[in-house]
Amino acid sequence: MKRQNARTLALIICTFTYLIVGAAIFDALESQKETSQRGELDQRKEQLLRTYNLSSEVYEQLEKVVLALKQHKAGVQWKFAGSFYFAITVITTIGYGHAAPSTNAGKAFCMLYALLGIPLTLVMFQSVGERINTFVRYLLHRLKKCLGMRRTEVSMVNMVTIGFVSCMSTLCVGALAFSHFEGWSFFHAYYYCFITLTTIGFGDYVALQNEQALQTKPQYVAFSFIYILTGLAVIGAFLNLAVLRFMTMNAEDEKRDAEQRALLAHNGQAGGHINCSVDPISSSSTPSGCGGLSSVSGNGGGTASRGLRNVYAEVLHFQSMCSCLWYKSREKLQYSIPMIIPRDFSTSDTYMEHGESFSNRLHSNSCVCNLQVHSGISSVSTGLHSISTYRRLNKRRSSI
Amino acid sequence: MMTQNIRTLFLIISIIFYLLIGAAVFDALESDSESSRSRALEQKLNELKRKYGLKEDEYREIERVVLQSEPHHAGRQWKFAGSFYFAITVITTIGYGHAVPRTNAGRAFCMVYAVLGIPLTLVMFQSLGERINMLVRYLLCRAKQGLGFQRTEVSMGNMVLVGFLSCSSTLCIGAAAFAHFENWTFFNACYYCFITLTTIGFGDFVALQKKDILQNQPPYVALSFMYILVGLTVVGAFLNLVVLRFLTVNADVRAASEGEDSIKVLCFLHQMPKTSSNLTPSSFIVFHSIVQSEAVGV
Repeated sequence: MKRQNARTLALIICTFTYLIVGAAIFDALESQKETSQRGELDQRKEQLLRTYNLSSEVYEQLEKVVLALKQHKAGVQWKFAGSFYFAITVITTIGYGHAAPSTNAGKAFCMLYALLGIPLTLVMFQSVGERINTFVRYLLHRLKKCLGMRRTEVSMVNMVTIGFVSCMSTLCVGALAFSHFEGWSFFHAYYYCFITLTTIGFGDYVALQNEQALQTKPQYVAFSFIYILTGLAVIGAFLNLAVLRFMTMNAEDEKRDAEQRALLAHNGQAGGHINCSVDPISSSSTPSGCGGLSSVSGNGGGTASRGLRNVYAEVLHFQSMCSCLWYKSREKLQYSIPMIIPRDFSTSDTYMEHGESFSNRLHSNSCVCNLQVHSGISSVSTGLHSISTYRRLNKRRSSI
Repeated sequence: MMTQNIRTLFLIISIIFYLLIGAAVFDALESDSESSRSRALEQKLNELKRKYGLKEDEYREIERVVLQSEPHHAGRQWKFAGSFYFAITVITTIGYGHAVPRTNAGRAFCMVYAVLGIPLTLVMFQSLGERINMLVRYLLCRAKQGLGFQRTEVSMGNMVLVGFLSCSSTLCIGAAAFAHFENWTFFNACYYCFITLTTIGFGDFVALQKKDILQNQPPYVALSFMYILVGLTVVGAFLNLVVLRFLTVNADVRAASEGEDSIKVLCFLHQMPKTSSNLTPSSFIVFHSIVQSEAVGV
């Protein structure tokens, strides 16, 4: 079976097993308490009905009113501060439910608002998270230099440790603050921060619901909002570091498969049609176009340093996009690899995007590869990467 | 370096504006309704209190009991079916809150469960979503071939359209089903499906909460679970198609700039000509992707 299919199947089975195991454990932990609490409450209810001489219907009436009032007890929920809080819970998908739109117009607007807001927020948090990771990497690198360590590269393990520690400390700081302001125990406040920052958002604990805080304590309100957004950025940075690469694994494998297919398909052609030198060492001429690619759109140029990019383009083109050439010239490139990759690329987090294969429309006189156009810059990075990390990637693939 | 910083800053500012605008609109839509409802309820409450001679502290007692009994109305929430439902709401981060762990042990386990479960679920949905997109792409290509189209490649536009249509139909099918089984209006059922499949999960509408359904109607329960998971897959596939590429844009731009520095070294080392008079088609690709990556962020 194809690797991607096997991986997907394994993940599905894992998730279902995880759900079943989780359900069994929650059952064991909570069922008893639920039964006993229920019994207690029924008893209390009987007591109350007797004490205050209320019939069941009256009790039901009271019940309805009490439940309906619940939302309002926590203060005005839809003035600007409350609406801002609500908007945060929508676009971050936390969704406490402490306040939910009751008008149909509110519900409709909520859906539209979420439709645009959620992707925007996802992209924003990943963007900020990536910046944070880069910054941390830089700081750590400088720190290592200062401390006079021999190897100053920042490894993945370093980054993951720091990410984990910052997540924990964010949770602890929040727990301290909310336990103080809301009167919760430290554990409950920690639970609240965790449920909030993972965007689960049960709503059993919700900040800013006591003593009309939304209207009367603007600094605390501002602190809560900033805490939630910053906390989500920290978690997002950790996810960007640790999880994002796994979300693109299938696509990367597809790309690799396509390249291999292209290689196999045009193995014969590769030998005869190469008329351009691939050796970057030779200083003779810039290799003339190994045709092969349609100019995707007349976007040529407009950006600076065209000359440099031309050279860049030639090298990249031969080394990455035209996989037939890549294989043909691998031996030649091997000794030049240390020259081409002057810096240690083990720390860069480059994720290949999924590209769309398109059939080569150009009347090429050489490599007719099944090329892939990448909609982002990944092709550029892939080029240099592929040389040194191609085999490393392959190894990584086979281990997962 | 600059591009990513600018892009990130731009995104942050957009979000802040988006929140401000949203807050203003929600305020305008809901505030009046809220205050009038609040007044009406207070009035009704005072009436009831007077009618049945309840003092304030007596009422507080009743209120407490009522609020604590609320989660029990929907039947047993923590037997296996209910726990499974709860586990789903945790690892998909929907988090209705219709049932929450009441023991500290349950809360602690919930946190541990989420730490492992959420990344697993994210990766699973993206993995499955990518497979679905591949399948759809293949089917569409064959369909185009079958229909005798000249150009049988499947464009991004095609894929986005198909994705959007499948999301909408998933929503509608769910809405029809839940409107029927839960006795909600179609609009409310749509709203419920939307809030569930975007994993917001307010909890104002929750399926399987009618009396003892979780215990008494296993087929409907199983169907609901399947709907939630399948629906999340469909939405995940759409996100995989449309949004995932934007989540990795910053990293790609940074790698490209690192690549450019390397090329400078390369040129220096090998003394390649710094300018080239003829722009080959290959360079267009690089230009195009560089230009596109700028475009993607803005």
